[in-house]
Amino acid sequence: MLILGLVVAAILGPAYVWRNNDNPSARRYGIGSAVAVLGAAVTPLAMGRCAFEEGTSGVDHLLAYSLMAGGAWLSLIVLQSLFDRADGRKSDTSGMTGEIRTGGFRLGWWVPWALLSPTLIILIIFLYLPAIQTFTLSTQLAKLGAPKSVDVCFSNFTELLIADPWKLVAYPLLAIAAIYGARFWLHRSSPGTWSRKGADIASVFAMLSVFIALYAMFSPGGGGQVAYRPVYLNTVIITVGIVAFGMIGGLAVAYLAFRTIRGGSVYRTLLIWPYAISPAVAGVLFFMIFDPTAGIFTHVMDTWFGIDVPNYRENALLAQASIILASGWKILGYNILFYLAGLQTVSLDQVEAALIDGASAWQRFVKIVLPALSPITFFLLVTNLVYAFFEVYATIDFMTKGAPAGKTSVAIYEIIRVGVNNGDLGRGAAQSVLLFAAVIAITLWQFRTTGERVTYGGA
Amino acid sequence: MRYLVLLAVVVLVAAACSSDDSGSDTTAAGDETTTTAAASDETTTTAAASDETTTTAAASGDATTIDFWVAFSDEARLGFSEEKAAEFNAKHPEYNVQVTSFASYNDVFDAAVLAVDSGEPPGLIHFFEAATRQALDAVGADGNPIFKSVTDAIAGRTEILGEPVVLDSVVDAARNYYTVDGSFYSMPWNTSSTVMFSNMDILNEAGITEPPATWADVETACAAIMALPDAPSGCITWPNHSWFVEQSLGQQGELLGNNDNGRSARATEVNLESDGMLAYLDWWKGLDDSGYYTYSGLQRDWDGTTAAYFATEVAMIVTSSSDVTLIDEGALGAGFTNVTSFMPYNGDVDYVGNLIGGATIWMLDGMDQTTEDGALAFLNFFSNPENAAAWHQLTGYIPITQDAVDLLESQGWYEESPNSKVASDQLAAAENTPASLGALLGNFVGIRDVITIAIEDILVNDVDVATRMAAANEEANKSLSEYELLFGG
Repeated sequence: MLILGLVVAAILGPAYVWRNNDNPSARRYGIGSAVAVLGAAVTPLAMGRCAFEEGTSGVDHLLAYSLMAGGAWLSLIVLQSLFDRADGRKSDTSGMTGEIRTGGFRLGWWVPWALLSPTLIILIIFLYLPAIQTFTLSTQLAKLGAPKSVDVCFSNFTELLIADPWKLVAYPLLAIAAIYGARFWLHRSSPGTWSRKGADIASVFAMLSVFIALYAMFSPGGGGQVAYRPVYLNTVIITVGIVAFGMIGGLAVAYLAFRTIRGGSVYRTLLIWPYAISPAVAGVLFFMIFDPTAGIFTHVMDTWFGIDVPNYRENALLAQASIILASGWKILGYNILFYLAGLQTVSLDQVEAALIDGASAWQRFVKIVLPALSPITFFLLVTNLVYAFFEVYATIDFMTKGAPAGKTSVAIYEIIRVGVNNGDLGRGAAQSVLLFAAVIAITLWQFRTTGERVTYGGA
Repeated sequence: MRYLVLLAVVVLVAAACSSDDSGSDTTAAGDETTTTAAASDETTTTAAASDETTTTAAASGDATTIDFWVAFSDEARLGFSEEKAAEFNAKHPEYNVQVTSFASYNDVFDAAVLAVDSGEPPGLIHFFEAATRQALDAVGADGNPIFKSVTDAIAGRTEILGEPVVLDSVVDAARNYYTVDGSFYSMPWNTSSTVMFSNMDILNEAGITEPPATWADVETACAAIMALPDAPSGCITWPNHSWFVEQSLGQQGELLGNNDNGRSARATEVNLESDGMLAYLDWWKGLDDSGYYTYSGLQRDWDGTTAAYFATEVAMIVTSSSDVTLIDEGALGAGFTNVTSFMPYNGDVDYVGNLIGGATIWMLDGMDQTTEDGALAFLNFFSNPENAAAWHQLTGYIPITQDAVDLLESQGWYEESPNSKVASDQLAAAENTPASLGALLGNFVGIRDVITIAIEDILVNDVDVATRMAAANEEANKSLSEYELLFGG
């Protein structure tokens, strides 16, 4: 089984070389094949044949093959950049470096490394080594203070997924097919027609199909599996909620505060303050507002209006909304800060020209201000996502502790609950790896899709 | 600036790698820093702790340092520990007991294990009852147990550095719980049981003269209370914490783990589907369904439930006796009569007994004789009759030794504060059986989490008790068998 994967890699390696090079030499085909095999062999070498031993399931094989494919692909990308360099082709096509003349250090090649070493050493000790340890841990059953740990291969991962390997392959393929189908339709249709409108709608659904495919791939629990599907769903809902609320709210407030009003600078300063608050304090604040016994909001509603506000922690919708409100409010100041700075770069000439042309306030906002803010929006999208993924633990821990019945337990909350509070290091590590992969995937996706639409001005 | 950071890193690494003995003052600071780096979620508490280090270290020049890591961060209980450490240091100037505060028991334990591996362990740590098995099983990187039996270390001495040994005077309920393989491993400290507090003003108004004793009595009382024209929004509450479930199992004589609750041999199976378990959860869910039970909506919510009682949103609360003093004062402030009574039990089966909860102080292995004697002297000083009595009066945790009980009786404390005696009486009324002793389980923290989540599901989502507990049982047994695979030898 393992050999089969390596053979496939040996065949696909040259195919990759053929696709990315003009008339490659036989030597390059050979190197491509060898590098692909080596890249594919990295994970089996590190983990042994555990995924193919007796008693392993199709899902284990699938994960092993995926990792082999990933290893082969990454090593081929590196190889290709070496080929490009040998051919004199610039692999880096971004506008920045092209304009800057490259130079060297007079003292020798080691000077830049020496200058970089403080940063590199810190990165290696505090980032890369722990990251590698996390990967190792994720394949183990391990606890703090235990006399031993047990290698469990991929089981920390497989128990998060559904048990049918064919479905696991089919769902992502279907999602990819949907995306490419929508893209194909988009290319075939011309602007302004009904067909284009349909294609636009189809593109949105194609994007959603990725989330739906992932939803179907995570296990709903039972039969010794971990119920990770609800966690995934909570994470999507709460993350999207926080990012949408934080960014739309941030832009709206910044747009209002940017106008010339008396004491504007005071408002603008005050608006940024929530950012200085820690996620834990944000949790405590909103807990104090909405708590059914001691909450200010519930008290006011009850005594002034006679409305009995339900306990937000016993209703899934209210609980998620309160987490979104608290976390979104905390990041609001940060978004306002960046949008205020961004608004100052919007060309007033263009706005005035539009005004003279008779564009309404809404049209000016949508057609001129929004596009001008796109680099800031893109930057904020990435930072807000990272915030919503990684920094909501304390807020949730203070407000709901995952209540009701895990409906506000997002990925990072689960990681800490399982890995730290329950001391299950292996499962915690496996879930961290999953979150790590998710963030990388989303960021790459953003750079590919949203990134294309960002204009940085200039020619 | 970067070079400074680099330098700091190099120093840190050097400090972490050095294998000096833990006694000297020079490494004490390094000890603090390495733990901070290791237990990353501890930033705030350890930041506070390093302040402490400077204040207490200043007082002593060449004194032997004994680090005492405490899982309390509130002023009253942490303050008590610091005060007693200072008194001990003044009495024994050759020692310097340094108290460091942590946010939770788990944080203390994780930090201690990491500190052992980095070669700079504390002397004493504060760790809770449910993790007794975990503490006994814990080993360092070298494969040796982290903790040393306090009984073995005392080795039959009746006094250490002039401090009389109080271990023999520990009350039975705590002694029996913490005695594993025939000896005390750790020194009991904060020990409590679950008791009920009743707002007698509301109960009397509803025509109930005595706090309800059995489950059926609670239902009768609740029906009367909720029928009042100015009825509170709920009748009774208690935190959704596995401890209450364990108490109920003890009352009904039901075992949680096999092999006599893990007391005759290691528990290898856990039973979350026993009749007692289902009876208790059915009763709990029934109270919730009829609107008698108020769920705060948060797991392990000690503060919210107590706040609801103070705000007279409920007429009764079942909670830890460690809050007797707090609740007595709160009820006085809120202006109602508060009476403490035993935790309600199932009247349909014979009452077997309630168990303790709380924590003990564990001594780490590997200290030199001088340091270890200092640690042992401190432990016995810390729970001497005066201190144990003061601790009881401050909080409501039971007086941990018989000598402390006698002292309190001679002072007339119980006539003055009858509510304080209920927990001790309840524990004394328990039979000495494995069920009422409570379980010793591996991965108990994780299993408790499984139970708590299942109960929240039952209360909030109205799912069937037996079905939900079957799923929880499967999960808990998986968790336990994995633990036994790692620790079971």
